[in-house]
Order: sequence, then structure tokens, then C-alpha cells
Amino acid sequence: MGHIDRAREFVADAERTRWHDQALWFVRTKRDRAADQVPDWEALREQASGIKGFALGRLPALWREFEAKAAAAGTIVHWARDAAEHNEIIVRLLRERRIRHVVKSKSMLTEECGLNLHLEAQGIEIVDTDLGERIVQLRKERPSHIVMPAIHLRRGEIGTLFAKEMGSAPELDDPEELTAIARRNLRTTFLRAEAGITGVNFAIAETGGFVVVTNEGNADLGTALPKLHIACVGLEKIIPKQKDLAPFLRLLARSATGQAITTYTSHFCGPRPPSPDPQELHIIVVDNGRSQLLGRPAFREALACIRCGACLNTCPVYRRSGGHSYEATIPGPIGSVLEPSRDPAKHRELPGACTLCGSCTDICPVRIPLHQQLLAWRGELSEMGHTRRSKRFGLRLLAWLFARPMTYRWLGRSARALVRRIPAAPRDRLLNAWTRQRALPEIPKASFRELYRQRMADRRRREALHSDD
Amino acid sequence: MTNARTEILARLESSKPPALARPPESTPPSMPIDPIARLRERLREAGGSLQVATRQNWPDQIAWPVDLSAVQHLYSSLPAIEGRGVGTSATTDHDLDSLDLCVGSAEFAVVENGAVWQRPATSRQRAATLLANHLILVVDESQLVPTLHQAYDRIEAMTSDFGWFLCGPSKTADIEQSLVLGAHGPCTMSLILLRD
Repeated sequence: MGHIDRAREFVADAERTRWHDQALWFVRTKRDRAADQVPDWEALREQASGIKGFALGRLPALWREFEAKAAAAGTIVHWARDAAEHNEIIVRLLRERRIRHVVKSKSMLTEECGLNLHLEAQGIEIVDTDLGERIVQLRKERPSHIVMPAIHLRRGEIGTLFAKEMGSAPELDDPEELTAIARRNLRTTFLRAEAGITGVNFAIAETGGFVVVTNEGNADLGTALPKLHIACVGLEKIIPKQKDLAPFLRLLARSATGQAITTYTSHFCGPRPPSPDPQELHIIVVDNGRSQLLGRPAFREALACIRCGACLNTCPVYRRSGGHSYEATIPGPIGSVLEPSRDPAKHRELPGACTLCGSCTDICPVRIPLHQQLLAWRGELSEMGHTRRSKRFGLRLLAWLFARPMTYRWLGRSARALVRRIPAAPRDRLLNAWTRQRALPEIPKASFRELYRQRMADRRRREALHSDD
Repeated sequence: MTNARTEILARLESSKPPALARPPESTPPSMPIDPIARLRERLREAGGSLQVATRQNWPDQIAWPVDLSAVQHLYSSLPAIEGRGVGTSATTDHDLDSLDLCVGSAEFAVVENGAVWQRPATSRQRAATLLANHLILVVDESQLVPTLHQAYDRIEAMTSDFGWFLCGPSKTADIEQSLVLGAHGPCTMSLILLRD
């Protein structure tokens, strides 16, 4: 089943599709208002994009600096080549300390690595503490959005889920009451947790520290009490200086949700002081395909992504097809650029789930040329042989035809005459996928070339008349 | 098997793009003419509130989210609050869980986004700030910066421990995008601006 089939399943529920589309568009308009309040917005994008470009050219040196500074602050740094190694390190750290209860705050990297299933298979309880993540974890789904994980669900579905999992009244569907139920339920989990796992929004080479942002405070609650904090970071998340946080943090929340800043912007640098409650802080630096993407000039700028989700909110395809239709850790425009790099065969359709409207490129706070990369992927995937055979055949036929102007003109003339004669119903419903939701425009009588010729002939005639005066 | 660290650093070295120059520093916006009005607006948008009080006896001038004389579980790091409330300061994790109110101070406030910078002295203070139902933070009126750029100019490069920007109460909109205050932590947050 491909993206189109899964999108068709999503849009079968017209009311949900309409709501999803409008909810995300509303977030997009909030983002616009927040960006308008910042007089130096474009300068900030320029600066953020420049700092990322600078950092991507120096990753080995920056990570060495990070490692040395982190060690000096008492943080233990681990390196993982891939998802399996990342998961093994976490299991080892937990096993050595006989830890069975873990809380995790939102991290797309641990989603990418499939950490939850891995820990559960080892008999370790892992609870996602971001409300949206908890909801999708209980439903055994993946997040459908990188900032709003449960945006594909309606309140009634969440009420039903909580009734089953947390014993609330089945008819309850008020967001405030449902959140209060989850809060009580998760508070117990927080107090019982022996370790907290977090993602990382920014790692800072200069200090060996890192920043995690949330609105709920779950990353902080999950790490304030337990004796072990494990942070997982992708290779691309490093910035050189602490003061570089300023442009990124000014852009991030505004681009993501239209907030000027998140409620909590936490700066961790080493474990907390040994007295009265000692803590260990471990950080796992993960490659999992990132170094490979760095080596591809056409796509490496995608490593500048700060995971704000603005390109998802603005994308006309994402808004109307839902995150799950992408069947990828990261959906939407940025996911369609990142995912084919890891598994081209599996994600070959994603760069095609795009109208090339360019809205993602316009909105991206770090100026990733997303729609150009999506177009470049189409060419690349076709060269790798990942295009459907029918499409490959069609494209080859078109290339042959475009090289033969006489044949092209003859075929156009015949088609104009013929298409008009086929009854509209079978033509638009069966023969042409494009017209299943659209009306075909009226078939013109003449081609552009013929119209142009006619027009030039008319003009010449008028000029001839005029010169006679 | 080669060591993961060596291998990853070698991979990064071999696929490294050409080194670009660091972008020039931009000039950040300066202080708006009405910083307090801005701060108030940003905090309101974040679900919090701003109150202005004079330094002398400020606890008697502000609106408290709970009755201060009757509060059972209070955590405060400020001498001005000493002896108020009927309960004792929280000492165990379980006490923290039932905290009604946490009162603390912040080093400075950022006008463009309504956030304040704080370095909790202990992990207990950090937990109390997260677990209390209501949060009050005080900051001196002279300690305002226009944007995060000026904020990071004030924060020295960290060498250890923990610091955070805080803005408004804990919140979520994960159920149908409806904003709910008090997702895990405080349901209300008020910033008190102290002046002479």
C-alpha cells in the first residue's frame, strides 16, 4: 500500500479531514502573527541558516569539543552508529542499575530508533510523558506530527482510550477534564520513575551542555527526580556557541506553534550537584544515516532542520492526507526529504506527495530549500530505479514524443478531437486519476501554437489595412 | 569491531562539506518604549500574568492564587515569605507532590517573549517549581532585557549544572488543539515585577 492509498483511507472521513486541515492552517496563521511581531525575522532566518551551514562544515571538531566539555562537567558521552547500537546502550545502562521504570519526554530520535518496543521486549516499562505522545503510545501508533503527535485524533477517540486505559467515564470528552485525568495518572508514573530519557533540541559545543524545550514541563519532571538522565542526540543537533541559541530559540516556538517561547527552555550542563540527590547524566550521540546524508550535497542542508513542524502545517498535501499516510517517523515535507535517504525503496513515493508549491521553503526558519530537494529526490529515485514501472514507461514515452515536434502536433490534434467524443463519466472516473476529484477543463478547439499563428496572422492583416490609410 | 566514536568521527570527516565562514553577528532589536506593557502582553498570551509591586512588603500588595495565610504546602526560597502559610517547607518528594504554591525569584526577564531566566539553587527547588499547583516568580524591574540575544550576553557560558527560561504555566494543546493550563506542573503562573 502506498502513500496515495493510505491518504485515500484518511480522506474517506471527510469531517476529520476538514478538521485536520483547518486545525493545522490555524496553527500556520498563528505562526504568521508571531513572525510578524519580530522586526528582524528575515535576518534571524539568515543567521540561523548561516550558523547551521557553518556547523555542518565542522562537525568532527564541534563534537570533539562537545565531548571534552561534557566530560569536564561530569556528563558521560556514548556514541551509536545506528538505531540498534543506540538501543543497546540504553538497555545496558538500565540493566546495570537494575532499573525497570523509565519515563521519556518527546524525542523524534528515539521514535526513529524504535526504542519503546525494544525496551518493552526487554521487560522494561517505558512511559511517554508528553500528553500527545502518551495518547499515541497507548493506541500503539506512531506520532502523526512531530510537534502535535495526536493531531489526527478527535476528542471522543481520546475519551474512549482514557476510559479503557485510565478508568475514566466513557462519555467524557472534555479536553480539560481528559488532561486532568492524564496529569494524575502520569504524576504517579513520574514519582515512581527511576530514569528519565529526553531528546535534545540543541547541543552546545562550547559548554558540553544541551537545551530541551517543552510546554508541559515533562522533560524537566522526568529528569528532576530520578537518579539517571539519558539524553539522546542526533549528530546534526550541534551548534558552536551558547549565544547561538538566541536566533534558534527566537525562531523555534514561533515557527512551531506561534508562541514567542515555550514554557520551559531547560539548559542542562552536567549532572545535578552530588548533594543531596546525586544523579548520573549520560548522552548518546547517534549517527543512524546522518553522516551519509551529510555526504550528499543536494540534500545535506536538510540536516539544518530544528524540527519545528512549520513545513507540515503549511503543506497542502500533509494537511489533507494526515501524518500516518507517510508511514515514516517524520512525515510532511521535511520527512519526505529525510526518510528516502535512509530507505529509498520504502519511501520512494514520498517526494511525489508534493505539489512543488514551495510554501515549505518559504516558511522554513532555517531556509532549507525543501521543495527543490523534493524535486531532486524524484530524479535521484528514478535513477536508482525506484520509480513505478508504469510511470517510468510513461516518462520515456513523453521524452520520445517531446523530441519529435511533428508527431507531437499530430497527436495533440487527434487527442483534442478524440477526448471530446469520449463520454465524461468513464473518462474522468476511470481513465484519469487526476480527475477523480476535479473537473476536466473544456477541451480547446485549437492548440496554443495554432492560436498564436492565428493571432499573428490577424495582426498582420490589421497592420496591412492600417498602412493602406 | 572498530570503536563507534572513531568510526562516526571518520565518517563525518570523509563526508564533510566545504567549510563556510561564520555568519556576521546581527544587531538585535533594542528595548521597546513600553517594556512593561509588552511583558504583560507576552505573559498573558502564555497563560500567565504580570503584577507590579514595590519592593517593601511586596507580599502584601499582590493578588495570591491561594490564601497565603491558610496555605498548607508551600515552597519558598525567599526570605520575604518566611513564616507565612501554616504548613512547613516541603522536604520529601511526596511533600513536593502535594505542593500548593511555590515562590521563587528569577535573575532577569526577557521583554520580547515574557520568559524569565532562573538557575534553581538545588534540584529540590527545580522540582518544587515544576510540581506546585501555583507558581509565583519575582524579578527586579531593573533586570529587563529586550530579546534573547541580550539575555545570552548576560548568561556566561555554563560550565556546570542547570538553568532555564520559564514562561507561564505548564500547558498542552494535545487534545484537539484546545489549550489546557496545568498539563503536568503549575496551573497558574504570575510574575511579580519589583520596583522602588
